[in-house]
Amino acid sequence: MALLNRMDWYDIARTTNWTPKYVKESELYPDEMCGSMGIPMEKWEVYDEPYKQTYPEYVKVQREKDAGAYSVKAALERSRIFENADPGWLSVMKAHYGAIARGEYGAASAEARMMRFSKAPGMRNMATLGCMDEIRHSQMQLYFPHEYVSKDRQFDWAHKAYDTNEWAMIASRHFFDDMMLTRDAISVSIMLTFAFETGFTNMQFLGLAADAAEAGDFTFSSLISSIQTDESRHAQIGGPVLQILIDNGKKAEAQRQIDISFWRAWKLFSVLTGPIMDYYTPLEHRKQSFKEFMEEWIVAQFERSINDLGLDKPWYWDQFLHDLNIQHHGMHLGVWFWRPTVWWNPAAGVTPAERDWLEQKYPGWNDTWGQCWDVIIDNLVEGNLAKTYPETLPVVCNMCNLPINFTPGKGWAVKDYPLEYKGRLYHFGSEPDRWCFEQEPERYAGHLSLVDRFLAGQIQPPNLAGALAYMGLAPGEIGDDAHGYSWIEIYKQMRMKKAS
Amino acid sequence: MAQFPLTSNFEGDFVLQLLPVDTENSMDEVTELAAYHSVGRRVKARPGHILRVRKQGSTEPLPRTMKVAEAGFKPTECIEIIWEPASQQGTSA
Repeated sequence: MALLNRMDWYDIARTTNWTPKYVKESELYPDEMCGSMGIPMEKWEVYDEPYKQTYPEYVKVQREKDAGAYSVKAALERSRIFENADPGWLSVMKAHYGAIARGEYGAASAEARMMRFSKAPGMRNMATLGCMDEIRHSQMQLYFPHEYVSKDRQFDWAHKAYDTNEWAMIASRHFFDDMMLTRDAISVSIMLTFAFETGFTNMQFLGLAADAAEAGDFTFSSLISSIQTDESRHAQIGGPVLQILIDNGKKAEAQRQIDISFWRAWKLFSVLTGPIMDYYTPLEHRKQSFKEFMEEWIVAQFERSINDLGLDKPWYWDQFLHDLNIQHHGMHLGVWFWRPTVWWNPAAGVTPAERDWLEQKYPGWNDTWGQCWDVIIDNLVEGNLAKTYPETLPVVCNMCNLPINFTPGKGWAVKDYPLEYKGRLYHFGSEPDRWCFEQEPERYAGHLSLVDRFLAGQIQPPNLAGALAYMGLAPGEIGDDAHGYSWIEIYKQMRMKKAS
Repeated sequence: MAQFPLTSNFEGDFVLQLLPVDTENSMDEVTELAAYHSVGRRVKARPGHILRVRKQGSTEPLPRTMKVAEAGFKPTECIEIIWEPASQQGTSA
């Protein structure tokens, strides 16, 4: 029997906004789950998804994608990537899996909310496929690292991380819970799919896939490329929603949600992806700097998306562009210095050759972050390892939950952005972080940062051992320098040469 | 005497740090406590300089002998620890 072409039946098949008889529309679509901002049902029915796919097509394509990624994994299982890869590259994988894998299940829940509670039939269809995408992503990103668990306990954090109070996970959960798990369907479509996925997952998945291929890890490269093909489809859910909101006088609210989510995503990626690209990936395998990737894949693309819709760039855009030169260097230095508190082994990435690269990509690096690293390097050369560890906590931002840091050394520009709200003093790492809080204080006010928890006596004993126990970091899991400080030898040699 | 949490923003360092002090500590003692977590870890010592405390946003350091209890700090308030040439002593103490 001949099959009709998809476009001969697609529109009518997904026109599923029936008139309810037994319940009111407000009961079928409660506003706290739907978030339709008072825009009537018929206005949502004009939603026209830019990427149309039917369920049979989806299953066929996804099966091929899965077969491809799993085949590459099977074929390369004897390539001994774990044994042969640079330790910095293993850290890339550990950080990625821990931060992302379980979050994908959260994203499936968010997609499911759009699937059930959106008033736009086409959006429900796309979100149905998106929900299945996210389940696939979580399953793959738990399965792939599993083969390494018997070799290295830190890979267990692919599954374990989300259940802990490790500081980076508190930050990650705070962001993803805000964007995905505590927002209505329309807000999810804007904050998760448009603001976050359109730009930032490109960064993590396309950028990292390129670095993985360069590093010879074709299994990881094919895995995350496979995931990105899904992301680039379901990330388009938010665009038509924004068009409907703008057409119905809700531009200001749409803009506000974009501005919150984009900033929050940026901060998270400054700690997750920035160090990976500019410090962990071996120098000879780096395709572009983090800043260059951001400018190509996020700035240009996001600006285009916003302009196309008639929206404005976020109010902090100039600051964001400026911070592309800065923020992730401090995040990296903080992760390395507080390295026992992470589940991967951060690569310092500051050999003379790497510093030259950093100076070239980020002029002034040696006079700023380089000055802090000079002291660390001196201590390591002199065998004073104790001085390369912290004895107190960094103060973390009450929005992004990441250490409050900025330019050190000759360009010292570190600053707190405080806010007193209902008698409690909150600290923020930037004006946009504080602004996010002020948009909806009651949403965030009750949350305790790691420092707040420490001061509240929740971390016992109140020292590093107590903190590691609180964060769930067991022996064999706590982070240390990825290369076992072997990179310091070149500095020792330089010093000896200078002395002779 | 009571423990009191402050936030240290140390000149030349890259990150804010939790700084437990005592309400009876003088500002000079506060700078010593703050320096312990920054100088020799990520900030080089500056010979010929002393350290002063100032409130964020202020250009004037607090008197060196002032006690924490007298400074009107809020718990966890961010203070700046800044280098001052020793030669300036007597002009702003």
